[in-house]
Amino acid sequence: MSQQFIQLVVSGLAVGAVYALVGLAFIMVNEATGVVNFATGQMVAIGCFLSVSTGIQMGLPLGPAYALALVAMALFGIVFYAVVFRPLQDRPVVTVIIGTVMIGIVIQNSALMTWGSVPFRPRSPFGRQVVDVFGAAISAHALFVIAVAFLMIGLLYGFIYRTAIGARMRAVAQDRDAARLMGISVDRMFVLTWVIAGLLTGAAGILVGPMWFADVNMGDPIALKAFAAIIIGGFSSVPGAIVGGILVGLAEMLGAAYISSAYKDGLVFLVMILFLLVRPQGIFGERIGQRA
Amino acid sequence: MINRRLLAASAVFLLALLLPAFISGYGIRILNLALISAIAVIGLNFAFGYAGLITLAQAGFVGCGAYITAILSTTLGLSPWLSIPAAMVGAGVIAVVIGLPMLRLKGHYLALATLGFNVSFVIVATNWKSLMGGTDGISGIPALALPGWSLGTDHRYYYVVWAALAVATWCAWRIRNSHIGLAMIAVRDDEIATGAASVGVTRIKVQAFGLSAVYAGLAGALFAHMTNFVAPDDFALGHSIIYLAMLIIGGEGSILGAIAGAVIVTFMPELMRDLGTAYLIVFGGLMLLILIFLPKGLLSLTGIVARRLKALSR
Repeated sequence: MSQQFIQLVVSGLAVGAVYALVGLAFIMVNEATGVVNFATGQMVAIGCFLSVSTGIQMGLPLGPAYALALVAMALFGIVFYAVVFRPLQDRPVVTVIIGTVMIGIVIQNSALMTWGSVPFRPRSPFGRQVVDVFGAAISAHALFVIAVAFLMIGLLYGFIYRTAIGARMRAVAQDRDAARLMGISVDRMFVLTWVIAGLLTGAAGILVGPMWFADVNMGDPIALKAFAAIIIGGFSSVPGAIVGGILVGLAEMLGAAYISSAYKDGLVFLVMILFLLVRPQGIFGERIGQRA
Repeated sequence: MINRRLLAASAVFLLALLLPAFISGYGIRILNLALISAIAVIGLNFAFGYAGLITLAQAGFVGCGAYITAILSTTLGLSPWLSIPAAMVGAGVIAVVIGLPMLRLKGHYLALATLGFNVSFVIVATNWKSLMGGTDGISGIPALALPGWSLGTDHRYYYVVWAALAVATWCAWRIRNSHIGLAMIAVRDDEIATGAASVGVTRIKVQAFGLSAVYAGLAGALFAHMTNFVAPDDFALGHSIIYLAMLIIGGEGSILGAIAGAVIVTFMPELMRDLGTAYLIVFGGLMLLILIFLPKGLLSLTGIVARRLKALSR
């Protein structure tokens, strides 16, 4: 294998891991609360800029800086729950789509006023360090991104499937009314879901910052790729989001290098539309027959 | 009730003919844009308001119309008047071709698939430099002209747009009350029952989608001949969302609502110009408030006010 190929695969995996995190945030919210959150990308951008604030503007060491940014994102999730989710809950799908898009516009322009239009370049905990993998020079940050993303996904998986609170969250996702009758506080589970969404998007934003730039317009392109990832993987499936995210990340990197850098995004959306048409349940199908 | 509404609508349309006498150059340009958007939103009303299809591709179809017009009337030298119907047919055909497979999807799956189409359209328009001009777009699109009389100024072009909107509104109203329009609404209300009544659900959906694209094509063609220039940014996904927002703000499922929404949303930035960069924050927040507190759109306010007045006078 050529050195370039290994580099591309690793950076594809790193970008794909970020898409997987964003896709998971989208799926968690959609499964538990039934809300399609079109402001997910802007939440990623806020996560990234919060780490800019704590890490660059406040000058904290990166450990505390990241922790503080994540705490702020968890709070952001709660605010989002109260201000956006509550009023839009149980409205028709299209109202929710337009409503979350509008909130995305509000968030994006608030970020523009807060942080300005000049992009930041957040530093990585590993700086510009390079690691040798099978004879190829790989940026240490890319490996860090992959490791952290998979650690978070593992923790989330354990939380949802191995803890009592996780079981309650799944119960709410399956049947809200039955869960309420079982004495589960549905509203509390919703808050928790939005906190998790805040943490996932926040982590995605923090990780992606040093790879690209922190730009207030970064949200939409990332969210669009994450949509494509969950469609390809399977809309309500956790492994689907991971596999879909990685496929999209690899397709983006390898497609740009070997096929066409101009059409790399078009390639991703072409695959997404093909999946919607031929296998709408994605790689890891879902049981609900509502889609086709 | 219907007749009174029709009368009121006709009166507004006729009064609108006088507007250019009172509005300055820049205002009339915005008004032209508002009326062109209204045509696209009336089209969207077929797909979304009547047939219930959540589509985020309307700006893409407007773009198809605009680029078809631009290419035909610059590179191929076709008469600008002929390029407009060509754009309508072209956009409609594209919609039917992608609609046939895509319209099997529902809800947010359809939203994401149409979103994918709109994003792909911009990617193609940005990168296919030889045909579509890339990010520079296509310039030098000729203005419309009658023999010996140019329609190039915004004040004169207003009458072209006005006439197009009037015809588009009338056609939409006729379609709404024909069996096609009723079938679309039936599909939205209960797809299974409609299918059971041996109405071809897929055919109706494709018709609604195609019709919305024909309107979008007209809007795109009129836009291209007004600005004399098209570039990918004018047809990006954000504009599809704005069209949908216009329809919901005005009142989905209503032709007059579509027009009102288009005019209100187009003029909103002008009214809020003093806000500067904070404008989009206020705009987004305002839209959200309307969605939450007036889910049937601003036009439903008139009904609410009328009922209040009646209650007071009693």
